[in-house]
Amino acid sequence: MLTRGTLIYIGQRLLLIVFTVLVVSFGVFAVVHSLPGNAFVSDRVHGNALRILLHQYGLDLPIPVQYWNFLKGVVHGNLGVSLYIRDLPITPLVLRELSVSAMLGGAALIVTIGLGITFGVLAAVRQNTWVDYLLTSIAVVGYSVPSFVIASLGILIFGQWLNNVSHGALFYPEPWTGTYGTLAELSLPAIALGFYTSGQITRITRASMLEVIQQDYIRTARAKGLENRIVIIRHALRNALVPVTSILGPTIIGIITGSVVIENIFGIPGLGKEFVESIFQHDYNVTVGVFTIYAVLIGFANLTVDLVYTVIDPRIRY
Amino acid sequence: MATLLPESQLEYAGGTLAGEQVSLWRDGVRRLRRNKLALAAAIYLMLLALVCLLSLVWTPYKPNLIGTCETYALPTGAHPLGCDDLGRDSLSRLMVGSQVSLAVGLATATIVLVIGVAVGLVAGYFRGAVDAFISLDINIFYGVPPLLVAVALYVLLGPSLINIIIAISATGWMDMARLARGQALSIREREFIEAARSGGARAGKIVFGHIMPNALGPIIVQATFVIPAAILTAAFLTFLGFGVPPPTADWGGMASEGLPSLQGGFDPYILLWPAVALSVTLLAFNFFGDGLRDAFDPRQKR
Repeated sequence: MLTRGTLIYIGQRLLLIVFTVLVVSFGVFAVVHSLPGNAFVSDRVHGNALRILLHQYGLDLPIPVQYWNFLKGVVHGNLGVSLYIRDLPITPLVLRELSVSAMLGGAALIVTIGLGITFGVLAAVRQNTWVDYLLTSIAVVGYSVPSFVIASLGILIFGQWLNNVSHGALFYPEPWTGTYGTLAELSLPAIALGFYTSGQITRITRASMLEVIQQDYIRTARAKGLENRIVIIRHALRNALVPVTSILGPTIIGIITGSVVIENIFGIPGLGKEFVESIFQHDYNVTVGVFTIYAVLIGFANLTVDLVYTVIDPRIRY
Repeated sequence: MATLLPESQLEYAGGTLAGEQVSLWRDGVRRLRRNKLALAAAIYLMLLALVCLLSLVWTPYKPNLIGTCETYALPTGAHPLGCDDLGRDSLSRLMVGSQVSLAVGLATATIVLVIGVAVGLVAGYFRGAVDAFISLDINIFYGVPPLLVAVALYVLLGPSLINIIIAISATGWMDMARLARGQALSIREREFIEAARSGGARAGKIVFGHIMPNALGPIIVQATFVIPAAILTAAFLTFLGFGVPPPTADWGGMASEGLPSLQGGFDPYILLWPAVALSVTLLAFNFFGDGLRDAFDPRQKR
């Protein structure tokens, strides 16, 4: 399967990822370091004391030199130390937050793909009936309504209304407890996050199912007397999924973007929450670290999706 | 179909073959008007524009005036939507908030249209090194989450409406550029471009005088989807606290102000109104965009 061409292609893509990460991290580095104010504002230190602090953290050096030092650290897996919680190493912090975000994102991805493909197939099979209209409308609502609205309505309905109706027997527990939360606590954020991207998947699954169902080999399968369900699931869906994989990349980016908002609503200690906090706290090193991790993540997500594409559709070669 | 035949052949003994002659534009408008959902969306958007214009000159109360009624007052006759955590009239703030959303949506769509189309057409027409450079740029921008870049840019530029628009435009031009590039790549091979080139037309004239008008259909449809996307990103930004400076009202910021009172469990309305306004507006733009695409871009499949 791994031909020479594929390997060269993967190599090129890895180079592009490295290049992108370099450009992005330098861009963000330059941006945050040219902002007015710094992480020591709350210390109320001035004059020599401030100069000593800045020197201690290497912040008095020219930005290219600082960036070079940052890169040297990154090669050793060291993203530097936090300036807000002084001297706290960032790498373990960010890795832990990444695992929390990855759990949330993974759950949201399952929700997105599950909902999107189910709705898309149902809408296509029942084309131009009320089922179709209902499900495609839900899809438009999905990518129109902001995820923080879905999340807030969820808190209102499942956190409070359901609590009142069931007298506290059944409700959504808020806020998030501990680092990883419980399965019940994960449910609403994952649904709020996944619902948005599921709309696009519903749309594409429906369109591509409609196209596949009309093809001759489906008629052949039916003519052989196969049960409708088997024709749809085993014969049609498999081929209909090829275009769906092409939007998995944007879907993953959508989930990563959305997680920033969702984590802040539900108080989930993930990368997105850290990102927003670090900006408000002028914690440059953390901001740059989080950004770099996001860039690496998206690069590899896109690469993986493109490789999965070749597995699902053997006609595609690189 | 019938228009392919010369005028003289359209008539035969039984009458005319052609029936009525319909231009692409009129045909599109007719299809759009038959689409009830798109029509309703268009009516809503016109009403919203009217409300937005009205809010520039008149609101029931001053939108930033604190203490027009009790804090967290529930809806009453005098204050149809109630009041927020500072006793400001929610209806007035909701009306004024539409300005930010519409301004961001329309301004971003215009900027993205101009930049994306110019960059994309140039890449698609000249190909080679120019295309490689532009495509690399597009790929780099695709490699970062747009919201985070917008946050970073916004923080760099400082809090203002203009900077929100700049930040969102800077992260939203790639799809448009890709679309325009694809259009240019296919149109540049057509005969009429070859004719223009052999006639001695210069590159600028070919790109913007011949290719652009023929690529405009899908591009305009795409632009209508940029508006809700920009409003959504702006709402995310303002919701996270990277918004227009207070006390100016905007829907994302109002929603985030309402979140604590919702989580505290005593007044869901503060969050509900901006959330509903945002959702309905975004839905309307998307429905209208869908209708526009079905009407004017029949080649594109749903």
